Amino acid sequence: MNTINLNRYDHISNTWDEMYIADNHLREQYHRIISYLENESANDLNKKEELAKRLFMSQGITFTVYDSGEGIEKIFPFDIIPRIITCAEWTFIEKGIKQRLKALNLFLKDVYNNQFIIRDGVIPASLIYSCPHFLREMHQLNVPYDIYIHIAGIDLIRDYDGTFYVLEDNLRTPSGVSYMLENREITKRLFPDLLPQCKVRSVTEYPSILYKNLLSLSPRAVANPTIVLLSPGMYNSAYYEHTTLARLMGVELVEGRDLVVRDQKVYMKTTTGLQQVDVIYRRVDDEFIDPLVFNPKSVLGVAGLMSAYRKGNVAIINATGNGVADDKAVYSYVPDMIKYYLNETPLLKNVPTYSLGNPEHKEYVFQNMHKMVIKKTNESGGYGMLMGHAASESEIESYKKEILKDPRNFIAQPTISLSTAPCYLDGMLQPRRVDLRPYALVGPDGISIVPGGLTRVALKEGSLVVNSSQGGGSKDTWVLAS
Amino acid sequence: MLSRVASSLYWLSRYVERSDGILRMLKINYASSQDTIQEFTWTPVIRISSGGNEAEISSIKNDSRSVIEYLLFNRDNPNSIINMITLARENARSVQEHIAKDLWQCLNEYYHTVKDPKLLWYVQKDDPVTALDILIKQVMLYYGTAGSIMERGESRSFMSIGKYLERSIQSIDILDIKFISISNNPDLLTDTSYWQHLLLSLGGYELYLKTYRKGFEAENVLELVMLNNDFPRSAKYSVNNIYRYFERLKSDKNIEHYNKLSFNIGRLNSTITYSSVNSMKAEGLHPYLVKIRSELYGIGNLLNEYYFANA
Repeated sequence: MNTINLNRYDHISNTWDEMYIADNHLREQYHRIISYLENESANDLNKKEELAKRLFMSQGITFTVYDSGEGIEKIFPFDIIPRIITCAEWTFIEKGIKQRLKALNLFLKDVYNNQFIIRDGVIPASLIYSCPHFLREMHQLNVPYDIYIHIAGIDLIRDYDGTFYVLEDNLRTPSGVSYMLENREITKRLFPDLLPQCKVRSVTEYPSILYKNLLSLSPRAVANPTIVLLSPGMYNSAYYEHTTLARLMGVELVEGRDLVVRDQKVYMKTTTGLQQVDVIYRRVDDEFIDPLVFNPKSVLGVAGLMSAYRKGNVAIINATGNGVADDKAVYSYVPDMIKYYLNETPLLKNVPTYSLGNPEHKEYVFQNMHKMVIKKTNESGGYGMLMGHAASESEIESYKKEILKDPRNFIAQPTISLSTAPCYLDGMLQPRRVDLRPYALVGPDGISIVPGGLTRVALKEGSLVVNSSQGGGSKDTWVLAS
Repeated sequence: MLSRVASSLYWLSRYVERSDGILRMLKINYASSQDTIQEFTWTPVIRISSGGNEAEISSIKNDSRSVIEYLLFNRDNPNSIINMITLARENARSVQEHIAKDLWQCLNEYYHTVKDPKLLWYVQKDDPVTALDILIKQVMLYYGTAGSIMERGESRSFMSIGKYLERSIQSIDILDIKFISISNNPDLLTDTSYWQHLLLSLGGYELYLKTYRKGFEAENVLELVMLNNDFPRSAKYSVNNIYRYFERLKSDKNIEHYNKLSFNIGRLNSTITYSSVNSMKAEGLHPYLVKIRSELYGIGNLLNEYYFANA
């Protein structure tokens, strides 16, 4: 029995599909895997799904939902069909991301030092100063090699004609990279020999590149600097990722309670006394990182950390205060930043963005609520969003009231349909919406982007939201070498 | 090594060792509960392995399946296998970069095995030994994996100290309870199966037969479990190993703390080395065992103070 019947593939009109063109024609990059799948029965594919679930479970790649006292282990939904990106697409994405990150990094250096971009009238001062993630503590603080963004997870989406758009820049503590690595490991088990046959580029270098970058940032010139990964702890939903990265890089996984600051130096508490820490890859948000400076109730951070940072005794990755560059209202100025700092034309497009703080924009958005996605400027993870096309009149009215309380806090974007990719669901291939998050690493030697990334997929039929907190799953992402 | 990490390694190791001891004891006692014409009482087993309250003990003490279920799955019993493996796994989760990935997966599988509803079904409706064997196999997998892949460094030292500390406390507890029962019921002194079960549950049965040719005698059992150099569950062997693995932690950076703790471990080691069956009897077996146990607890407390809490 042939499971993969393309006549049953329910392609959505006016939408870019990563695999399907029309009339049973497929894009070339999918030919090989589809002919492989055509030789498998539904039973074979169901077994592969089972195997994937079992592998995630036995390796403890799970998150815990605490319900009625007893924790329930869950795995993030994983779709076994990989999402495939051609060599040409990847070359373009890579160039576009590098350009963008260069400009964003220059912006952070500028905005925390001389603020030329404000003085030259490119970005309004009010926009910067009203951003809650703009930290005065970062003013004129020297960061090693002037690098603020060491790790970025830029979210890309594709419109109906296949054009890539940047949706979010994620310059603070982007997560999900362990899924890029684990999804690949699982795919190796699910489809023996298929990866080399398809000439899929490897993603395994990620931890070693990151480690090399972290090493180069040590403020002390010592042979073996101490590098730590600072995690909020076991109850954080990304804890699995923290342990994986620490293990793959061979660095110490610490929590706030393991660290202490003395004389503006950071130490960790070991069985043989205090040991100085040189580089902190932190997965704790700015707000919680130092109770003396930010949220005084935080127990996740380290008291005095910012003073050690300011003194140059410790490197923090990513730099604190990056949030001003991925604020959703500042986002709309990134193309201007690229022109201003690099004198280049932006390669990757921005989704058109209306800031509700601007009265003209607000007027326009209020008249076209049904065509818009409205977001809070400082929220992520798909929270606090209004999807205009699916909202009822009363939802729209109450959201409008919400906006009027603090318009600066909201932006609106026209609904972009998101491309679809084939997923194996209920025994057949079905198109579902996807995005793409490649991970870029910035070090003194430049920017490297591991060929791959996290493809998130909205598994619910008709859904446009790919966030895992909203019922999304993920796929392995293949970048082809030729 | 981070103090928190050292503490996690030590505790995960203690929990696994404790679960091993309890599982083996359950298996042997279950077998003997099927091989008696009198009513079999689980009271000593429950007392050794759970510290459960008296009301609870008396309500289940004669029903083998309920006892096994209580000791394996009861969330309110702090020493139930499910609680211990949950704790062992949580400790392992936070130190994944220090134990090999395979070892983490072992503990993860152990945890999922305990939670498998099939296991409860074996205990309630089918053959409980199958459930115990499945779990014992998980522990053996853990020890095999740990032995073949853990690096021989500080991590392993802390894990080994935890393991042998737990093991010596367990052996001493079992001896103490078994001998207390004798003073209440002197008939047991000559009851062969009584000693057989004790030895079986400690895995010392074969060694006993090879060492002592004249049948089962209380004094010989005592000698084997306390003083035998080659019996891996004897107090002497375990304390020797605590001494040995602790020595490897010696470092110039914390020599003061090291010396203090080294003194206590050395003293305990000597106390056991220079004991004999006669000297133990002269001192009174129960007070002697209580003294040894409190020394062991003292070592645990000092480890906590000097190496884990970092106060």
